[in-house]
Amino acid sequence: MTTAFPYVRYACPCTETAAPPLLGKRSSQDVETEQDEGLTFNPHDQRANFSLYPLDQLLFCDECNHTRCPKCWTDEMIYWYCPHCQFDVPSSSVKSDGNSRPSSSSTHLRPDGGSSSNDSYILHCQYCDWSTLEIDVKFSKPSRITEQLQKAWKARYGAKEEKDEEDRKQHESPGTQHDATFANLQRFYKDQLSESGDQPNMYSNSPYSSPANLARIMNLYGGLSYNALKKTREKPQPMREAGGLPEGLVTYTEDGIPGEEEMIEKIKTLGLEGTASEEQRLTTPQNYDTRFQDELWPIATPLRVRRGKRCRTCRQFLARPEHKVGSMRYKIRLLALNYVQRLSISPLQPTAPRQNPSFQLRPETLPEVKVHPHQTQQYILTVRNPIFETVKVTLATPATTPGKVASKVTILCPSFTVGPAGDMWDEALSASTTSDGSRRAAMASLTGSSADGDRQPEAGKVWERSRNTTSVILEVVPGAVKSPPKIVPDDKQEEELTEDDDILEIPIYVRAEWEAVPHDAAGHADHKGERESREFAYWCVLGVARITQT
Amino acid sequence: MSSRPTAPNRRSTKNEYIETDTGNKISRRAHIEGKQNIMLGGKSVLMAGVTLRGDLHRLQEQSEGDERSKGPVTAINIGRACIISTNCTLRPPMRIHHGTMTFYPMRMGDNIFIGHSTHVSSIHIASHVHIGANCVLGPFSVIKDNCKVLPNTVVPPHMIVPAGSVVGGRPARILGEVGDGWGQGQTGGGEEEWVEGGDLRGVVRSIKG
Repeated sequence: MTTAFPYVRYACPCTETAAPPLLGKRSSQDVETEQDEGLTFNPHDQRANFSLYPLDQLLFCDECNHTRCPKCWTDEMIYWYCPHCQFDVPSSSVKSDGNSRPSSSSTHLRPDGGSSSNDSYILHCQYCDWSTLEIDVKFSKPSRITEQLQKAWKARYGAKEEKDEEDRKQHESPGTQHDATFANLQRFYKDQLSESGDQPNMYSNSPYSSPANLARIMNLYGGLSYNALKKTREKPQPMREAGGLPEGLVTYTEDGIPGEEEMIEKIKTLGLEGTASEEQRLTTPQNYDTRFQDELWPIATPLRVRRGKRCRTCRQFLARPEHKVGSMRYKIRLLALNYVQRLSISPLQPTAPRQNPSFQLRPETLPEVKVHPHQTQQYILTVRNPIFETVKVTLATPATTPGKVASKVTILCPSFTVGPAGDMWDEALSASTTSDGSRRAAMASLTGSSADGDRQPEAGKVWERSRNTTSVILEVVPGAVKSPPKIVPDDKQEEELTEDDDILEIPIYVRAEWEAVPHDAAGHADHKGERESREFAYWCVLGVARITQT
Repeated sequence: MSSRPTAPNRRSTKNEYIETDTGNKISRRAHIEGKQNIMLGGKSVLMAGVTLRGDLHRLQEQSEGDERSKGPVTAINIGRACIISTNCTLRPPMRIHHGTMTFYPMRMGDNIFIGHSTHVSSIHIASHVHIGANCVLGPFSVIKDNCKVLPNTVVPPHMIVPAGSVVGGRPARILGEVGDGWGQGQTGGGEEEWVEGGDLRGVVRSIKG
């Protein structure tokens, strides 16, 4: 992971339940909390990567009281659109024409009036200067490019196939031919099945349920006798396998694919660079059998989809975008950001001025965040409350971090309250002196650096508190990456450190409790005074720094 | 925004940034050509070494004497709370139209962050876009809302990046989608609260001469 330190990732609890909870089953919370009790989240676990997300990618289901990650929501197509011309494509035409827009072309290619005098157009990439002249394709008009491309492809390869078929019926090149062969094969086996299988009854479409009954009735009324009927039937032939090209059987012999020699010669001259990579070949079925880069065929722009997200458990919409291409507005959007207490971490004694890595303004390289083993580091852990109630937060962390490098972690004040989130107005009124952004700086200047330096972190005391944030001190003693050399040689094999094992990642279990107005009682006047207690708990992982090797 | 001292800033020559009435901060070390053709929406920042080619604007109709009366044409239009980092270049795109070389005006929305040393020739960049460092946005490229351009990306000419996508690579490809919470989650204004694609006023406030 190349993410800059420090970072915070939130674990979606859905991986802990073995199977995704069934539809409509809402009691899954109890099961999960039970499981939570015993286990410690291990951020170095191989599966951990799949359940950790930045908070802005998580959604929240307020029915289930759970965060929802891409694994526990279901996607729903809202609309298809062409990313190039930003037009809505109706789903019916997507179903019939496939996942590409018939009139536009590949992303970097655009129609270019190469020689407009004789009304021919080419597709031209302005990045790598590739154009359809290289595959010798020209267009007569600058619209409906995909259609023209398809026609050109058919004219080139379709004709070749037919010729091939005439020449050597045994080995024709695949492509559209596959479909015809498959149809033949299918037809053949259908016939075989119907011939060899149960005889279709002569009176099978009559309303009488039993064919024997019906035959007897017919017999009574002087139709063909049952036995006579039986005799007229042919003996069922045993089912046989397809035997030739008309029946859809294509055999491949070992005496070489036609043109193999030429191909080898071409590779000799062009080298490996001239061959098409697997990625290029898999872009479109037309390129599946392409061996060389100069034979690759341009593809039409794949359509894009705007998706809505539903909770997998209760089918509630978690995010529902507006049905309008290009608009990023949402009709419904339940972000985890607005429900989950946010954690952030920063060193208590910063060595360098803090800089947000995503807003790097100057081209200087950021100093790498490193910690030395066995040196106690103190960090400010800030919990930010997004909900409009005062929340009692309890933090828990294993005394030593799980993983191959064990670091000792202590939260000096694991239990505290965080004030409610409110309007910006409240904040402005309560903190009349400065705006929030420069508050810390102002505090530092007001109290003076001496007072700030004297202040020692104390166990059981909150470090700093503002309207909706509370900061506590976190003490970390990073473990050694390399274990000290042993005097007595150990039989046990040293565990090899893998990549990223030296990252100091602290799992923290956050439990938030608060009192809220019950959902159903919100509208009723007689329930006004009632409050119900709620709680929400989750694991999150703080990525602090890399531990130096020495 | 109450605490921003405006008047003293403008008077002192020591400050790196010149602050306009609408709160734009323009570095004294920025190279700005054709000032009359550049619009800044307010609270935007142009950092040191930024080159703005406002002189590359669409020429008026051939009548030269008449040009003054029509007023300046806009070559670069930048919205509110945009940050153009150090050593960026903004150059309106050009193409041959009806046999004459024509520059097209560049439009940029609000809350756009452009990382350092990026070259921009896009025709349109919508709002809440985060562009990494060392990118090249080719002529006539279009970046729609809520996009993230990873650092060191080369967006080819005429590419259209649909809304809400993450692009990267050389040439740029659409790598994925931004999360549903893109640009959300700002309650206060502290540094931890800055999010990519979010409201950049806090960042703008923190940039001081």
